[in-house]
Amino acid sequence: MEPLTLDMILVMSMIGLAIFLFIVEWVRVDVVAILMMVSLPLLHLVSPKEAFVGLSSNAVVSIIAVIIIGAGLDRTGMINRLVAPVLKIAGKSSSGIITAISVTVAIISSFMQNIGAAALFLPAIQRISKMRNIPLSRLLMPIGFSAILGGTITLVGCSPLILLNDLLTPFNLKPFGLFDVTPIGLALVASGILCFVVLGRFILPQGDQKGGAEESSATLAAAGEKITPDTGEIAFYELSTPDDFTDYRDPVFVEDLRRRYLVNVVAITEPPDYKVISPLPDVEVRSGIDLAVSGDHKDVRRMASAEGMHLKETLEIYKDSLSPQASGSVEAVVAPRSMFAGRSLADINFQDRYHVTPLSVYRHEETYRAKIGDIVVQVGDVITLYGTWKRLMELQKEGALLFSLPSDVEEMRPEKALWAGFWLITALTMIMGFKIQLSVSLMTGALGMVLTRVLNIDEAYQAVDWRTIFLLAGLIPLGIATEKTGAAAWIAHTILSVIGDVSPIVLLMVIGILSTLFTLVISNVGATVLLVPLVVNMAIAAHTDPRMAALVVGLATSNSFMLPTHQVNALYMGPGHYRTVDFIKAGALVSVVFLVVMIAMISLLYGI
Amino acid sequence: MCIITISRGSFSMGKAVAEQVARRLNYQLISREVLLDAGSRFNISEIKLEKAIHDAPGILDRYRQSKQSYIAYIRSALMERITDDNVVYHGLAGHLLLTGIGHVLKIRISANMEKRIAIVMEKEGITAEAARHRIQEDDNQRRKWTHSLYGQDPLDASLYDLTICIDKLSIDHAVDFICQAAETEEFQSTPRNIQKARDMAVACRVKAALVDDFPNVGVTCEYGNVLIYVKGRDPATGKLTRKLKDVRESVPGINHLETHAGIEFPLDAV
Repeated sequence: MEPLTLDMILVMSMIGLAIFLFIVEWVRVDVVAILMMVSLPLLHLVSPKEAFVGLSSNAVVSIIAVIIIGAGLDRTGMINRLVAPVLKIAGKSSSGIITAISVTVAIISSFMQNIGAAALFLPAIQRISKMRNIPLSRLLMPIGFSAILGGTITLVGCSPLILLNDLLTPFNLKPFGLFDVTPIGLALVASGILCFVVLGRFILPQGDQKGGAEESSATLAAAGEKITPDTGEIAFYELSTPDDFTDYRDPVFVEDLRRRYLVNVVAITEPPDYKVISPLPDVEVRSGIDLAVSGDHKDVRRMASAEGMHLKETLEIYKDSLSPQASGSVEAVVAPRSMFAGRSLADINFQDRYHVTPLSVYRHEETYRAKIGDIVVQVGDVITLYGTWKRLMELQKEGALLFSLPSDVEEMRPEKALWAGFWLITALTMIMGFKIQLSVSLMTGALGMVLTRVLNIDEAYQAVDWRTIFLLAGLIPLGIATEKTGAAAWIAHTILSVIGDVSPIVLLMVIGILSTLFTLVISNVGATVLLVPLVVNMAIAAHTDPRMAALVVGLATSNSFMLPTHQVNALYMGPGHYRTVDFIKAGALVSVVFLVVMIAMISLLYGI
Repeated sequence: MCIITISRGSFSMGKAVAEQVARRLNYQLISREVLLDAGSRFNISEIKLEKAIHDAPGILDRYRQSKQSYIAYIRSALMERITDDNVVYHGLAGHLLLTGIGHVLKIRISANMEKRIAIVMEKEGITAEAARHRIQEDDNQRRKWTHSLYGQDPLDASLYDLTICIDKLSIDHAVDFICQAAETEEFQSTPRNIQKARDMAVACRVKAALVDDFPNVGVTCEYGNVLIYVKGRDPATGKLTRKLKDVRESVPGINHLETHAGIEFPLDAV
């Protein structure tokens, strides 16, 4: 074994620093990656060229292309077209629906980023939940897990696998083909779905229609018979103010009514008789006007009596404006990379910019109804919004929030779906049939989508998530440094000398467990970059196939189910009203099954 | 229809002024009652409470948080007493404990040092030097207390609506001024002020119920809608959730309760 050198110590310190920063999150993970990209050449651990080689790597170009292809598929409205035939096949049972949708999501996820597939399907799943009256909490977790597992079906399904061939290059190992992992991936997806179909009732929260949030369901129950969750309607009440309403009192504003009585004004008459839908918070409630509100019946009554308003028996003036054909409420989920994330609701100002009214926010088992303007929105938050379908559709188009609209309102672009499908198949044919390099083939597909106007070039640029690109590109030099300085070999030998001689199966299992643990605390890309050089060295020293060791890392870094740290789990946690303990319960089972199935399949296919 | 707080240095004749103001306006006079209320409601001895509100926090108090708890209890007891208006409070720290309520007339009574010494000498039968020392010690404790808990100096005149030195002006003069000020429009209770005082009372009840286990939460209340502000990102720690369930059931006046985490505490949070 080589002696420990200063360079090795430096590299190990940098790895330690990266892991530490990944865990404490003082700076974002991509910034940590850039820090590595810049500090490694400064410390002379890699050459300046090597430091930035990640940016031009096959992996990074492939991922850019995959993101653009995903964005193209997203813009076709194809998912909504898929849902109807899939549901037809699925039948009426919830197991059938879970299986059918999960398989579809997994297949889509195998050709695009997992989070992209998960976000794309969320509105469709919300609609299925309403149509078939299945609690969202029973659908989302199996489907979310399938999106993650689907990433293991092809080599372009998830970042760690895209990265794998690049990480194998320094060792002169044979790269993997696009579908080399497919049998393993399919087995993983099947086993994951099977876990939920067989044991779903024990591992999934069996929430009510609204997903089990006590507070929101209590509110809805109290609001009475007007609620019809199937169509997303909420209860409205109409009130009028007397002619002396504003006499001898401080002015009352729309926002005051929400703060005092948790009642949302969804429409108000402005003198002389303009009907304003979704009024701004600072609109004054004047004398002799009509207003429509949504809220708990008891709160509305409390407001009417305290403020001296007249509560009408039924909707009169606003009967047409608030009809389910014209308007309604949606549960909008804050999308990954949403422009709203990190901003307060007051700052976003939905009423002014989109003419829709936020009614409540749901996050981490808590429903926020009072002073929601202060709340700083996070990815995965569920904002209940009221507005006319037209306004909600405009908001939906911006893509910052994910929600479903009644199907007759939703816009479809079938001609684009054909082009998107064509270019996806073209890219795959180039890879499989003509053995053209992954990045070139995928970029051809992406370019084709732009040329055929599935999406324009600006949309394509906007779709690219620079965080993912820099995370990948920034960590690649850390992998190079670990290998180049001999640090990977040194750590591998040290570990092997401690654990002694083990059989290849045991070694692969240990690598699988190690990768699973790493991916739970640091990003899957980080775990892959750090572990691949290490395990390849370990495998060489232990006379096991190093490609298989690397493959185990590439696959097991998708084994991230036990905590809501994976982007997909974080996105589905809010709408599914899941608690961390729900992920631990279901995720632990799926993780164990994942490891066993993965090792069994590798052993079966490659004879380890 | 107003609430008057009279802050005073020891032996500054503030008590006499308060008594006369209450008599003339036919207001309720409260001071020690608040400590008794707090003591019986939260099962704490009156001496401990008095110490909490009188002495500046020691080094250990900074870690024990007990002083913070006692003050929350006292504040809650005081709020219950003042929600009906027409009150003169001449106990400790009224001007600070009642911040946020619109119709509170805040008075500071001070007196000439020599006069204060004379009163102490007569009352306690001690020398002039000892009396001076005693008064200075007392004033120091007050300043430290206010500074450590509220970051303010009790001698800062901007904390009060009216400061009167009993020297050339007599007690009767002071009473005249205060009664006149109490009748001005700005200090009359309005429906909004009364609602604010009621809400503050609910917020203080909730804070008092939480302060032992969660000293760092902020509480606001508006029309019975209570918001708990928590530092950090996750509001739903099991212990707090369980405690809030109890609070929801046991504390009167709550219409709705929710926890907001990771948001800056509003200025009016107790």
